[in-house]
Amino acid sequence: MNEPNGSTTDTHVGERLSGYLDGELTQQEVQGVDLHLSDCQECTGLLDELQDLRRRMGQSGLSQKYEDEWRESMDDTGVQMTRGVGWLLVIGVMLIVAAVVIFQFIMDPGIGGFMKFLISAFYLGLAALFVSVLRQRLIERKTDKYKDVEI
Amino acid sequence: MQRELVHLGNGAHALAIQILGNSEDAADAVHDAFATALARPESYDSRRGALKPWFLRVVRNRCIDLLRKRRPTGIDADLLADPGTAPDEQLENRQRDLSLKKALAAISPEKRQIVVLRDYLDLSYAEIAMVLDVAPGTVMSRLHRARMDLKKELEGCDE
Repeated sequence: MNEPNGSTTDTHVGERLSGYLDGELTQQEVQGVDLHLSDCQECTGLLDELQDLRRRMGQSGLSQKYEDEWRESMDDTGVQMTRGVGWLLVIGVMLIVAAVVIFQFIMDPGIGGFMKFLISAFYLGLAALFVSVLRQRLIERKTDKYKDVEI
Repeated sequence: MQRELVHLGNGAHALAIQILGNSEDAADAVHDAFATALARPESYDSRRGALKPWFLRVVRNRCIDLLRKRRPTGIDADLLADPGTAPDEQLENRQRDLSLKKALAAISPEKRQIVVLRDYLDLSYAEIAMVLDVAPGTVMSRLHRARMDLKKELEGCDE
């Protein structure tokens, strides 16, 4: 049988040509294929064709999605929902604690009206600064096209 | 693990397309495989091999589950191509790849998978055996037959 494209035959290297191309043969097998190729134009031509085929496959765009799509795919609804509930609980408890503290502060008869005004103004100022910075960061987050770039 | 899986997304998608025949179902299969892998990360044992073949096997198993659930349909060469979100400069490459994809569509799914695993995803024979759940000693002959079939079909498509 003289077909070089089937399984191993007496006269051609057959499937060992693929093993040779992929570097999956033993040293002894490589030497055997080398010896055969030095004397067989048919198998040398076939090896070239298989190399071209492999190169063409390697360069083909079988999948053209961006990694960001996979990253977003991992953040599935279950994860997003759990994260949302977590944030809701944390913010809710913080608001309740803040409301209780403010109420006790306002109702405390031991602190004078002027002192209450000064302390309130100080904390309101801090809150205004925090909201301002938070707003700016949120706007930047929406418009920053490099936010998902990994360094 | 999550970051490594993100890098494997495209390769897994390419393999899933070869099994399922279209990009959308393939993306769903990869998404399901991500969910499976992230839900049970302990099922991956790094001592038994690299993450890539393990994850590709998870994807392949998911594709086979999906195939069992749906009616058998023919494979269209255009469906084997991922429409993706390719910018204009990639259109030329896509045109060049079309004949390759037609040739891939003409060979059996088993042959498509083994060629993609070796020549597109660059897996070793041992890793291919793990993904396809076949004896390592049979990979070389299966791959060679698949390459010969693909070469033959490609000659017809290029003419």
